Amino acid sequence: MRRLILLCLFIMGLGVALFAFINFQGLAVKGEFETIVLNFREDIPQDVLQQDLQAIAHRYNVTPHLDNKFAAQDHVYIIEGDRQRIKELKKSELAQAIEYIEPNYIYKIPKPGKIAWLGEYLSPLNNEEAQPAFKGPNDPMYSMQWNLHNIGVVGAWETTKGNGVTVAVIDSGITRVRDLVETKFVPGYDFVNDKVEAKDDNGHGTHVAGTIAQSTNNSYGVAGIAYEASLMPLKVLSDFGGGTVADIAEAIKFAADKGADVINMSLGGAGESQLMKSAIEYAYKKGVVIIAAAGNENQNSASYPARYPHVIGVSALGPDTLKANYSNFGAGVDISAPGGSDAGKILQATIDTENKGVEVFVGYQGTSMAAPHVAGVAALVKAAGVKEPDEILNVLKQSARSVKDDGLNYYGAGQLNAQAAVQLAAQGQISFQDFFRWLRDSGYLNPGFWIDGGAIALLPKILMVVGSYLLAWFLRVYFPFRWSWTLFSGLVAGSSGLFPLKGFYIFDLPQWPFRVLGSSIPELGNALQGTDPLNPLFASVLIPIVFMALLLGHPNWKWFAIGSSLGIAACLAVSAVSDPVVWGLGSGIFSRIFLIANALLCFGLARLALKNEEVVSG
Amino acid sequence: MSITITGTIQHRDLGPGAWALVTDEGVTYEIFRGADKKLLKPGQKAKVQGQVREDVMTIAMIGPVLEVKSFEVISSD
Repeated sequence: MRRLILLCLFIMGLGVALFAFINFQGLAVKGEFETIVLNFREDIPQDVLQQDLQAIAHRYNVTPHLDNKFAAQDHVYIIEGDRQRIKELKKSELAQAIEYIEPNYIYKIPKPGKIAWLGEYLSPLNNEEAQPAFKGPNDPMYSMQWNLHNIGVVGAWETTKGNGVTVAVIDSGITRVRDLVETKFVPGYDFVNDKVEAKDDNGHGTHVAGTIAQSTNNSYGVAGIAYEASLMPLKVLSDFGGGTVADIAEAIKFAADKGADVINMSLGGAGESQLMKSAIEYAYKKGVVIIAAAGNENQNSASYPARYPHVIGVSALGPDTLKANYSNFGAGVDISAPGGSDAGKILQATIDTENKGVEVFVGYQGTSMAAPHVAGVAALVKAAGVKEPDEILNVLKQSARSVKDDGLNYYGAGQLNAQAAVQLAAQGQISFQDFFRWLRDSGYLNPGFWIDGGAIALLPKILMVVGSYLLAWFLRVYFPFRWSWTLFSGLVAGSSGLFPLKGFYIFDLPQWPFRVLGSSIPELGNALQGTDPLNPLFASVLIPIVFMALLLGHPNWKWFAIGSSLGIAACLAVSAVSDPVVWGLGSGIFSRIFLIANALLCFGLARLALKNEEVVSG
Repeated sequence: MSITITGTIQHRDLGPGAWALVTDEGVTYEIFRGADKKLLKPGQKAKVQGQVREDVMTIAMIGPVLEVKSFEVISSD
């Protein structure tokens, strides 16, 4: 039996090998061509060559021409023709003077490969081109660019590479190092030295520009994100890496006036400036997407300019996909992107100012490195057809890989995802509604506030509130009672808390008071730390028991105890289904059982209290 | 506005690198421009008199920008 199987496998293997051989032979003669290459022998005299060419021109009614400027000395000529003409030429007397006559094949960039099934290997290929797997750009150091792998840039390039979009880099200038030679540039300005050419004398700007649009697929160095986009170098930071608000504001206006689509500002500082704020407003109204680094102070609240309205604030991720230890977080952070950490930095080409400005490939880290990732992807999104800055922001947010446990807003809407962003942009259906941000940007709220629209999963919260009301209504059928405000506040406090407050921030103030107010009673045990797993002491029947013990004697407050018990029951039941993460119990069946059991106990407790109530009053 | 701050000099590996003055309370200032090389030694404690530049933005973004006017080295361990 075993020998039979081995024999079958051997025959099958032989068959596959045979097919592969036939296909290999086939591919060499298959292919599209419209012209024929004639390579005349180099030892024939020039007048004989000309006679032969005239003969060919006359016989076939074609005009032989040289392929390129190097072809004349090699005697390589091109004429129109098909396979039939090749046969005729080979038989003709002219063939003696020609070294070879062959089809001028048209080569194309291979399409990205699909998963190959066994059946495809076994079926003969007809006129299909070879389809090798897509291995990414041919830049030799691309393999070291974990940051580009992380955002899925290769997938985005299938749709667009940013052609037609201009990204202004407001920084220390850009030096056109070897790996920026193929990148397109539009005129910029040096606001520090007041001249047209904005060369880099720090190294930072060139590095940032490289992440956005480093020459890619040029078999040299590293890759960039929107490498068919144009760069506009605007120098506002001097050689030591600092610059004034006045220059930066001027540069923002310059970019808006000269047709930039995206502005990247990998810089920050402390003071709020009306000049800069109005410059940003001006650029935004002209349809420019403005991106800025969140800052490297590891504090709650982005620095300026990231926190101005209409600026997309970017926090930084390390190669472990967690927030980098230096990155700011909280208020003002819209999205996160790779910025590097000591474990792995962002590699780009730039100049080494400590060594006479020679070109180097060097890893930097900082939110300065994270912002240009978002700027590059914003350029891709714009090139994919989304025009309005708000819509581009929505695409970036909606397509981001969301991070579930993000109570302190380390990641904004999530981690930048180039492929998903471009796909979403190409579909043209953007539905992400960030109502609170709209409200703030529209000026109805004080701009000192900031709201993290993605902080709350709305549906479970609504289910919790509605569920607690349904439980109360259900019990009322059996044990009639009057609705009272203490019961209502109990229901809300137990089920959901004042949850819209959870995403509420005031710049430069701690956020925990809002987290606590925005949490339901079962969530209080984890609200201070801002983590996701429920604390089993709080998310249980313990607190309702304590409430009952303390409040049941009070004619009004006992209703709060009953209401909160029902609310907690709804909260735990919904959590058991939607998000069953309990500290110490994991997120599996144990925590589900724990939550359901406690929900039932809470409901039972409320029912018991109501039954008692009836007995007492009746 | 001139202020006097006592703290420790640190070098931060952000972008091309930056110099910080961290006070004993943990507040981080970014040292503006190429201050005296004698001040910029990692781990050195110093009393620095200078000005906080609110009109300046930087690539390091590690804290308020401190323009050093004068300084006094306390210890260099």
